[in-house]
Order: sequence, then structure tokens, then C-alpha cells
Amino acid sequence: MANTETALKEATTAIEGAVGAALVDYTSGMALGTIGGGKDLDLNVAAAGNTDVVRAKVRTMELLGMQDEIEDILITLGTQYHLIRLLKGRNHSGLFLYLALDKQRANLAMARHQLKRIEADLEV
Amino acid sequence: MASAVSPMLVRLTEEKATGVLVRDHGALYLVDGEVVHAESPAAPGLDVLLTASGRLPREGWEEAVAEAGVRREVGRHLVASGRLGCGELEICHLGALFDAAYFALTPCSGPTRFRYGVGHWIGRVRPVPTPVVEREALRRGALLDSIWPHPEIDAAPVVPRDPGPGRGPTRRQATVLALADGVRTPPDIARMLGRPAFNTLLDVRRLAAAGLVDTAVRPSGPPPERPALPAWVPEVSDDPDIALLRRLRDALEATL
Repeated sequence: MANTETALKEATTAIEGAVGAALVDYTSGMALGTIGGGKDLDLNVAAAGNTDVVRAKVRTMELLGMQDEIEDILITLGTQYHLIRLLKGRNHSGLFLYLALDKQRANLAMARHQLKRIEADLEV
Repeated sequence: MASAVSPMLVRLTEEKATGVLVRDHGALYLVDGEVVHAESPAAPGLDVLLTASGRLPREGWEEAVAEAGVRREVGRHLVASGRLGCGELEICHLGALFDAAYFALTPCSGPTRFRYGVGHWIGRVRPVPTPVVEREALRRGALLDSIWPHPEIDAAPVVPRDPGPGRGPTRRQATVLALADGVRTPPDIARMLGRPAFNTLLDVRRLAAAGLVDTAVRPSGPPPERPALPAWVPEVSDDPDIALLRRLRDALEATL
């Protein structure tokens, strides 16, 4: 049972290659918590912007009539991976974990697996 | 916009004040200059958010308030008694705090008061630095205006419009429209759905931009007065000197 801060700390320390992480409410676009990032990656801006990514995908699935749900979204850049994991809480539909990874150092499969565990720890 | 939402709040933050700041549309509770809780009549409280989703039975909430309300530790008690997870409480409380703070910090003309020493029975969950709360309130206002720049619809009854051909509402928006009976305002609908009020404002502004709700807001107050002339314009006479104006016009035309 973790709080937001410890969960995010866990995400950036336990996951190899993590450069920053945020917990985001994707309806309002607000970051409930951020860690890492720095001047090259403003996580508050990333949080707000990526809500549009999630919203567009949710909408597309609705238009396609797919009754499935999004587990995660991967965006591959030249030097980074951006991983968006939608939380399936009892009370909190509408939150996602956002993780930026250094492509050189990260193990994508491992990162996805660990992010899943962090979600469970957060108990949302 | 870089200016502060409330100069008084800036001062209270600097002096690390503890108490409650009461404004027209809500209240902010401070402990040592940080925001620990916020309330607004427009925003559903933590109890509504937690019980409407079925996460917490109403009795569970009431018991916790009865048991720990006097000690002002309801938040901690909800976790200690196993009713809520620690992360869960924190996330839900932050959601409610920022939601109410947005309304509490909307520009208002009424008095702003601060009562020193007043605390809230929810207790300390996760304090948020005041500048973060202010920045978020400004971001939210700008986000709403970027979607549909007419704030009048935020407090007006939601009236669905015939969608016509084209894309209909999203599933989420459809739940809002289903409760729009021409009387309920966005905050009323938010409370019924157990969602933060700001999220419903976003839904309604997006619906307005998509032409799915009526946007002709019926004026609630007296019609706006004629815009005042700048002070440097002298009072215009009811009986202007027509002859003088004609001579002026002719002179201007001759020189241009």
C-alpha cells in the first residue's frame, strides 16, 4: 500500500532507464504527482498533452465499437520510450501512469511489467 | 497570466498562516501556509466522490466522521480502519481539493476573509504548496477557454440540442447529456454522477463546441449596460451642433 509519492519514486528507481514519471488525471489534464523530468522534460506539460493522446484513443475505440479497454500506450521516440499505463481502479477510472524511459538503457518488457506492479501497489 | 489569483493568499503563504480563507465561491484551508483542503458549493465533496462510485458505503463514511471528526483526523481514520487504501485516499482527496480550489479561486468581487486557526475535520492528507494550487486553477481556466471561451455556460442549465448528422457525444459526454433536463447545471450533474465538477465543465464546454448543447444562455441578471466611454471623452450632448459637425466633416474631407 503506497502513496503517490512512494509509487512514483519506485517507478523511477526500480525501473531501469526511467527519466521521469507522473500520475495524471486524464480528464482534467492535471498531474497529481511527478518525479524526475527536469528542464528537458516538463512533466506537467507532458501530463496535460498526453491526456489528449489518451482521449483520442478512447474515442477511437468508441467509434470503432470496440468493447475492449486500453492497458497501455507506447510511444517510441528516437531516444526515448514514453509509456502510458491506464489505471483500472475501483474508484479511479480516468488516471494514468506516465513513464519516460531512456531508450538506450531501458528494457521495455521489464518496464511494462514493473509498471503493472506499481499500479497494484498504489491500490487505486 | 503570471499574476497571482489572490494577493491575500500570497501574503498568507509568506507568513505560513493556518486557518481558512473564505471567498465568494468557496474556501481554502491552510496549514503552515500550505493548502490542506478546499471546499466549494459547486464542487462535490470527498464524501460524494467516494460514495457515489460505490467505493465506500455511505454508513462507512458517516461512521468515520463520527469517530474521528472531533479529532480532525477523518482522512487518517479512513485508512487506519481499513476502509480506504492510503494511495486511494490521497488521490481522491487531491482530486476533490483541486476541484474545489478552482471554484474558490475564481475571480470574485465579494470580500475575502481569513479566519486564523480554523481547521477542517478531514485533517492532514497531503498538503499542496499554495503556488501549485494557484497555477493549477489558472491552467484549468485557460483549458476551458481554449475549448469554448464562454464561461456563462458553466453555471447555466444544460439543454441538449438535436445533434443532427455527424459525430455524436462520447460515451462519457452521453452520461452528462442523459441527466440534462433543462434545469440542472453542470455542477448539479457532477454531483449526481459523483464526478468532480470541473470535469463536467470540460464535458459541457466540449459539448458546446461540438454543437450538442444549447449555448444561448438566458441572461440571469439585468442586461449589460452600455460600455462606459473612456474618461477623456467629454460628455456627448443630447443636442449636437449639427452645423458645426458638418463644417468639421467638410474641412476633414478637404484636407484628406
